[in-house]
Amino acid sequence: MATTTATITLSSADIQSDVLALTKQATLNKGGTTTGLEQTTGLNKVIYTATTNIVLLDSTALGVGKAAKVYIANKSTDASEYVTLTINAQIIGRLYAGDWMFIPWSQSDAAGNIELAPSVATALPVEYMMIHEGATQTSA
Amino acid sequence: MATTTAQLVLTSTDLLSDSLSVSAIATLTNAGGSTGVTQTTGLARKKSESTSLYILYDRSALSMPAASAHKIYIKNLSTTAAQFVTITIAGEELGRLYAGDWCFFPWSAHDDANDISITPSVSSALTIEHMLFFES
Repeated sequence: MATTTATITLSSADIQSDVLALTKQATLNKGGTTTGLEQTTGLNKVIYTATTNIVLLDSTALGVGKAAKVYIANKSTDASEYVTLTINAQIIGRLYAGDWMFIPWSQSDAAGNIELAPSVATALPVEYMMIHEGATQTSA
Repeated sequence: MATTTAQLVLTSTDLLSDSLSVSAIATLTNAGGSTGVTQTTGLARKKSESTSLYILYDRSALSMPAASAHKIYIKNLSTTAAQFVTITIAGEELGRLYAGDWCFFPWSAHDDANDISITPSVSSALTIEHMLFFES
């Protein structure tokens, strides 16, 4: 098995009167076990040139109810540019330039795809990666 | 304005044949600008003792603009591997946060039904921590 860790650090000296300095680490395991996740899409980088809503990650039967983890980052440097993330047409939120997200994804049903819609049709770079337990291969 | 940063580091030496070391750092700003987010709920802790659905962030109770750049952090503090909480947004399942897992994601809060909720997998005590950063 593999050992993969995800560490988050949230920091601010002035958002509240108490300094925020939170660091937490998670070891990415298969659902309900201490066995590490072994499969990944690898780190993808895609430059989008249309505002069309696209399927970033396709929900599959082998992923239902599992402990997949998804990382997505908007690598644009133009503060006004964002991507809107949805699951099964439900908006999660907008990732503005420089923002990232890291979520569990249980692929609740066949329609539970993670989709992305860029705000601009000029070149907008996005990085994403899924670390997971399994994915159904699509028949030709 | 405040300056708040969120950093992610993803590492593994054996997931792939090439070592994985991904780092991303974001400065939390208001939507479309460079002004730092100025409001937060603070770090909160919730202990559940049933498998009922709990609303963590009730959109209709929060005074905040829609379609903005709010951010949410949630961590499952359980140490029992089998215990998880299912996170939903307006009823749509996002994923399961197992023991020790955390997540960080944007929240558009686009309408009053857009609540962030959790459903614990067990009726024994299960504790999570959570925090919201939001625009005014």
